[in-house]
Amino acid sequence: MNPRAWVTLAKGVVLESVRRKDLWVVAILGFLIMASAGALGFFGMSGLEAFAKDLAGTVLGGFGTIVAIIISTRLMPDEIRQRTLYPLIARPISRFDLLMGKYLGAVAVTTIAFLILTALVGVSLAMFKVGYEPVMLQYVLVRLMGLSIVCAVGIALSLVMTPNAASTMGFVLAFGSGLIVRALVMAYETSPGPMQPVFRVVNALVPQYGLFDLSGRAANQGWGPAPAWVVGTLILYAVGYSGAMLALGWAKFRRQAV
Amino acid sequence: MNSPAIAVHDLVVHYRNRHGQPIEAVSELSFTVQAGEIVGFLGPNGAGKSSTLKALMGFVEPARGHAEVMGLPAGSIAARKRIGYLPEVAMYYPFLTPRETLRLYGELQGLRGRSLRQEADELLDMVGLGPAAGKQNRHLSKGMLQRVGIAQSLLGSPSVLILDEVTSGLDPVGRRELRDLLRARQRAGTTLFFSSHELAEVEMLCDRILLIDRGKLVEERQIDELKDELRQYAFTFSGQVSMVGLTDQLRSLPGGLTQAYFDDKESLLTGLERVHEASAMLVDVVAQEGSLEDYFVNAIGRAA
Repeated sequence: MNPRAWVTLAKGVVLESVRRKDLWVVAILGFLIMASAGALGFFGMSGLEAFAKDLAGTVLGGFGTIVAIIISTRLMPDEIRQRTLYPLIARPISRFDLLMGKYLGAVAVTTIAFLILTALVGVSLAMFKVGYEPVMLQYVLVRLMGLSIVCAVGIALSLVMTPNAASTMGFVLAFGSGLIVRALVMAYETSPGPMQPVFRVVNALVPQYGLFDLSGRAANQGWGPAPAWVVGTLILYAVGYSGAMLALGWAKFRRQAV
Repeated sequence: MNSPAIAVHDLVVHYRNRHGQPIEAVSELSFTVQAGEIVGFLGPNGAGKSSTLKALMGFVEPARGHAEVMGLPAGSIAARKRIGYLPEVAMYYPFLTPRETLRLYGELQGLRGRSLRQEADELLDMVGLGPAAGKQNRHLSKGMLQRVGIAQSLLGSPSVLILDEVTSGLDPVGRRELRDLLRARQRAGTTLFFSSHELAEVEMLCDRILLIDRGKLVEERQIDELKDELRQYAFTFSGQVSMVGLTDQLRSLPGGLTQAYFDDKESLLTGLERVHEASAMLVDVVAQEGSLEDYFVNAIGRAA
């Protein structure tokens, strides 16, 4: 393991992303959200703070997820397609280091994009006279943990299937995981006993992105921040699931002929 | 005795086709490259050159056999620390500048701080990219990208340079500069192993060539020996002189002149003696360098 190489590779991903103006697109998106919010504010939406916060949380989560999937599913395939991979793997670093560096780069770009969006959505919320509360900071941090899983899943998928299939699968998992989990729970409850462990296992394999959405808690005053043990459990889940996904990707990539 | 810089033993590299069947790209290939040598790796398209180089770098795993670089298992991190590699197609991050590209690779090579910045700038100057060091790679020509590639391969002063199609995209001036650069590296003790289709470059640069076809070693020659072997001698004379037993390559020229061609120097000298003994008039004597291209085509043809 070579953590210095991880940082170097991650810096490279961020620099490329900034130069490619990926983050400009995010900023423009944020300004559009802000302008829309401003227009709604002009027509008057007083008393709808909870709705505005809920909407803001959904928008942030949605766009953050889109950015995470697009960035993470293209990193490794681009390296192979553009043949920029060769000078990298010719260096004295392992393929695990390469994967970790790319993963951290994807997480860094997603985090920057998410924070830009959060800042601009925050300005939009201010138009509705909604102030910042500690639960909003917790919402952002927990959401970023969830996005780190999205990045790990994206990178793993991009190593086991084509880039287009990986991004499609990434979107299906990210936006459909709630539905999938509900369907699995229903199937578990209605299925005969011997089948239930199967649904349990499948449910454990599906990424539980819904756990990282605290927008309801952020929107409803009085609920307050989630307890520390919940956040701790979420951190453990994020680290464990991301680690498992990266291990899956590495298992495919470590001996792959390039 | 020191271990060779590169040692390849019975190397077999397979790829799988779309149906999952193995296709042999390299077939029981064995050779060595001694430290400080410049060895050219030649062969027609699809001969297995790039696959061999990739196996040396650990980009593909051999199905059988093994390879070592500086006594270390090929592809290992320890071996890669001592290798500078230039890929066949030079592609570098389009939105980074050559300077940033070299610093990124340098950091991955384990270099840091001011010494890395200095080395990167020196290498960029050395390959003639100093003025373009701040331009993004996507704005550089193919030849300039190749220079970025050459510069990155020299980062950290590697003991062994493995260069795939090294002269690709370079103009004649660039090729000459590259030759000078690589020779300087050799004088400093670096071993060079490179593939190329540019036979003239190979001839000017190499100590030895390895010729492969269909994954197998066809010939292994010292370049000086080969050049001697390929060199042809000829002289032109007037009058009647028998060249029986020396050459049958005689050409009649206008004015009663005859031109005789010889494959080796000894035959030429004997022929000259016969001209002298017959009191014939000698018009000229020439030595013609043989064509490496003809040798290449013939050797591949013989192996087929």
